Amino acid sequence: MSMETPDQIKFFRRIRTALGHAADVPRDAGQLFAEGPSAEDLQLLDRIDKRTTAERQTLLERLMEAGKPINLRVTPVPDMDAARTAVVAVVDEKKPEWGESKSVAAWRHPLIDRLGLEAPLARLQIPLRITDPIDPKASRECDQAERERQRAGIIASFIGVTAADFCMADTATLVMRNRPGQPRSVALVPSIHIAVITLDQILVDMKELFALLRWNERYRPEGLSNYMSFISGPSKTADIEATMVHGAHGPREVHLFVITGIGG
Amino acid sequence: MSDISTEKYVEEAKRGIADPVLRRSLSSLQDRFGRGTAEAYRKLPEGPDLRLKAHEIREKAIENLDVLLEALTIKIRQNGGHVFFAATAKDAVDYCLEVARRNQVRLVVKGKSMVTEEIGLNPALEAAGVEVVETDLGEYIIQLAGEKPSHIIAPAIHKTRNEIADLFVRKLGIRRTTDPPELTQAARKALRTKFLAADMGTSGVNMACAESGHITTVSNEGNIRMATTLPRVHVAFMGMERIVARLDEYEIILRLLCRGAAAQTMGTYASYIGGPRRPGDSDGPDEFHLVVIDNGRSRILADPQFREMLCCIRCAACLNVCPVYGKIGGHAYGFAYSGPVGAVVTPLLTGINRAKDLCCGETLCGACMDACSMNIDLPRMLLALREKLAYGDANWQVEPASRAEGIAYRGWSWLICNRRLYELGVKLAAAGQKLLPQKNGLIRRLPPPVQGWTQSRDLHPLARETFMERWRKRKQRVMSNE
Repeated sequence: MSMETPDQIKFFRRIRTALGHAADVPRDAGQLFAEGPSAEDLQLLDRIDKRTTAERQTLLERLMEAGKPINLRVTPVPDMDAARTAVVAVVDEKKPEWGESKSVAAWRHPLIDRLGLEAPLARLQIPLRITDPIDPKASRECDQAERERQRAGIIASFIGVTAADFCMADTATLVMRNRPGQPRSVALVPSIHIAVITLDQILVDMKELFALLRWNERYRPEGLSNYMSFISGPSKTADIEATMVHGAHGPREVHLFVITGIGG
Repeated sequence: MSDISTEKYVEEAKRGIADPVLRRSLSSLQDRFGRGTAEAYRKLPEGPDLRLKAHEIREKAIENLDVLLEALTIKIRQNGGHVFFAATAKDAVDYCLEVARRNQVRLVVKGKSMVTEEIGLNPALEAAGVEVVETDLGEYIIQLAGEKPSHIIAPAIHKTRNEIADLFVRKLGIRRTTDPPELTQAARKALRTKFLAADMGTSGVNMACAESGHITTVSNEGNIRMATTLPRVHVAFMGMERIVARLDEYEIILRLLCRGAAAQTMGTYASYIGGPRRPGDSDGPDEFHLVVIDNGRSRILADPQFREMLCCIRCAACLNVCPVYGKIGGHAYGFAYSGPVGAVVTPLLTGINRAKDLCCGETLCGACMDACSMNIDLPRMLLALREKLAYGDANWQVEPASRAEGIAYRGWSWLICNRRLYELGVKLAAAGQKLLPQKNGLIRRLPPPVQGWTQSRDLHPLARETFMERWRKRKQRVMSNE
């Protein structure tokens, strides 16, 4: 073990002693971690791989059903134009929670770029703040200044627009892995979160998700990233006399638009 | 150190039983969550037996704790996070104070975590001049009221909306309202300014996964996500047992956690945190610290009788079915953990003699085990604790709780092994009981030194004829008839 600290050495000695092993001999991982996909994993990967459009439609219906009890509003839209119209309609209709002026924060993401929100929002005179990746080579001061600028923009926005990596139908859960340009606060700090995904991003459940992240060549290198979020509907609490209230700290509303006509 | 008031169990339990508001809220909580969780287990594709599988997973993890913690530590450090191993509550608190001092932290926003209650983090930070704000709505209410949480998942279950309204008028200066959405909105507004101004966020850890190198936090409100995203520094505290080996195992634990805690298929937010912000990221903390806490757990690990307790994931499902918790509430348990889980883990962490009333107060009805998301045999461990209290135990430094009781039972065992003496004793008692005060055919009071037995119950008198006497008579009758 490299980088062992004194607190760690003593701590591990105590654990090994308590377990009845030699205190100072690090033990082998043995069969604890998987060397490769299990038969079940392979089956899951195969199922995802061979999923037909009709099956995906059924999954979408499952997703819409699972969204109902948790107040996640799932709306299928046929194409990019319909998605744009739907997103802009929400922005236009909803009132800001903290103050009067409206502004929207959105991820720098291929799907959100293709959505083209800038022009329609400009017509409504609503500023759109795109969260561009920060140059990793920027000086400390520049990095700090840019991050603070983005943070202020997200805090000022009443709606945050994001994509997602996957959506699990059984629990109506959006899955987002951390990437530059796609800060998690866009889906957290604004009062309303709008997510846009394509039909092929819908999975059945966590089993499928983990099979992909662990064993699929396309997803395995990134894995879970340094921060992966599951989001299932709007923020909620029942801490006052067990009465359900939406919007405890996170968004009060979550709208999910699923584009059915195109692939990611 | 955190406050421990396990000695006041009887006193606090009486107070709980006498509180009609508490009784009502607990009964409605148990009614919804108790049933809801059982139903949620039944609806699992694998059925309630998934809990048995989860138990195996957790046992295997506990038996390989050193290997798993090492794998997690290596991954988190590779990702730029810090991992500190705290032998005691004080070590954990001191480490956090040092991180706060180094980062000139003035305001800490806290995600709900029982282990930080256990180690007494809040008072230590406050003593160091740092403002600490609980951000889970229930915990926030409790903090404003200067009280302690009374349920692991629903900490403010003992407060009515009227009390909360008065509290918010006094502390937040709002116009009085008893409407839960309006009260929630008032707290949301007050806490938003705290989240945005905080220098440090703290959280617990629901479960870590060694293979992927992440800790996870689950919440419905989004407060933990805020506390671990917006401030510059994130310090996560985890009991050393809260880890599993692989993601496919983690998947099972998470599903059961959500069902056990709140009869949900999934909490609103689950976050997998593997380290601090990376270059190019515009949000997330600059520093991520994971504090792994022993604080008495290695002692539990070393004892095969109690090792199973480390499988617990603190989902609180046992509280929602326990007939004792349902009557006395959480404050009686006198420590961070209440209900059946508290009745086992608190004596083990704080001293068996000191917390003896907790394990003696439970009924051994077994409802907790049926509700347990990890299928932990809590009744077995309650009995094991009682055995230690009866006979003493050198390993756990347990003094027999009552020497007189020990002597009395030894006398009893000698008496019942001796037929003639026993029968003589029964005859004497049968004659003697006529002198005792009776009502409706029941004995109202026993004489000293056994008067305690009838303090809160009446006793059936001995039958006029013992079984053996009847048997002998019957036998004679049958034989004379033949």
